[in-house]
Amino acid sequence: MRLLKILKELLSNNLAVFILYFTSFSTYEGLREIQDIIVFSFNLQMIIIYFYILKFPDHLGNGHIFLAGVINDVVIGTPLGVSSLSFLVLSFFTSYIRSATLRSKMSAEWITFIPALFFSNLTYFIIVNEFSHLSFYYIELLRNTFFTFLFFPIFYYLFDFYQTKVLKK
Amino acid sequence: MSDHRDDFIIALRYALLKKSAKQKFSLFFLISFSILTITLDKISLPLIISSRAVLNDFVYQVSLVASTPGKFISYLNKEKTKHLNIVNKNKILKNEIETLKSNRYNNIFLKTENTNLKQALKLGNAQNMGDESSVRARVILDQNSPYLKSLSINKGTKNGIVKGMTVFSKNYLIGTIVESNYLTSRVLLITDLNSKIPVIIQETDVNAILAGTGKNRNLNLEYLPDEFKLESNKIIYTSGKDGFLAPGLPIAETYLNKKNTIRIKSLADPQQASIVHVTKGNFNR
Repeated sequence: MRLLKILKELLSNNLAVFILYFTSFSTYEGLREIQDIIVFSFNLQMIIIYFYILKFPDHLGNGHIFLAGVINDVVIGTPLGVSSLSFLVLSFFTSYIRSATLRSKMSAEWITFIPALFFSNLTYFIIVNEFSHLSFYYIELLRNTFFTFLFFPIFYYLFDFYQTKVLKK
Repeated sequence: MSDHRDDFIIALRYALLKKSAKQKFSLFFLISFSILTITLDKISLPLIISSRAVLNDFVYQVSLVASTPGKFISYLNKEKTKHLNIVNKNKILKNEIETLKSNRYNNIFLKTENTNLKQALKLGNAQNMGDESSVRARVILDQNSPYLKSLSINKGTKNGIVKGMTVFSKNYLIGTIVESNYLTSRVLLITDLNSKIPVIIQETDVNAILAGTGKNRNLNLEYLPDEFKLESNKIIYTSGKDGFLAPGLPIAETYLNKKNTIRIKSLADPQQASIVHVTKGNFNR
């Protein structure tokens, strides 16, 4: 019973880390499992990294981000370390935004997600082009990035509600 | 001006070098470590290759468990669609049964004739896949990602699978082995952008390269002669010019889509493959 309580506490305090690892292992691309709305696939990992580094950096360590990226590379089949670097660039950009911002505002954070996504994906493309012979489905990636940006506010409020209301209870 | 620059440098330094109770590693360290990992992976030293194979095996096994909820949702969705279509299909099938009954005797004749012709041409029979040169494997992960169209199977070097071997599903070629670990392997599907197979088109002597586009019903033929006009309902076979694929393996066929454009579709459906056969590419000889 005590073990169950500890496990529950661990899970609720580290939800972001668990989701990040789960999405890396299962190659989850939001809504991709449902064939009819496959077009709305998005990258949940990037939303989690951006949100948590921006709002609750103590809940998501950079070491976890690196490891999740390595797992993601193994599962997808891209050169090892590419996703890690891409995620860490996103994390770096987010840290910079956080330290440069005085007042937190959702709309402003949503807009700054665009350059953050841009630099992260740019790093990814450059490294893959230089270090492997893989080709990409650029349209699908662009669509995926667009919906990642579009769905950000939904997850922003969801995670914010969880961190500020559910977790404090 | 100078203050702005100082602020920028301070924010940049803070983002790169900051550590705290939860952030045990600085971003600068981890970014450097990532670059080192990419470089080591590119160099492909024997130690790195074996370490990566162990990591791959571990991650694939965990990934198999982690992807179960996703697979279950996908299964539920498919079942729902099946259920909704079943009444309509039943009506269509009833009509088809009537038609098929009338064609039955004709088909038996054609089947016998086909077998005889195959024997005469010494092409053998595609059903001999269960022989000792073929390894039967189960698909453990179906990576339908925007990056790569590939499958992971539950057989590796332990079962004699090596890089370059060909993979068949329901008698049709679906891809080749691009990564072989001790317990698992990765199959690059023919629908992937990186897949290039030398082929020949039915009833012609035209050679081309069949390339994937990421879609099952839209493959691409490269290096076709300028004047050549593709017709619908033509089977595309492997030409065997790459040296490891046997010639004459049916791989794709041309068809007319709704917009009356000629497209090429794969004969096998890699997304539906659950059991595959891995061979050295010559089982059909």
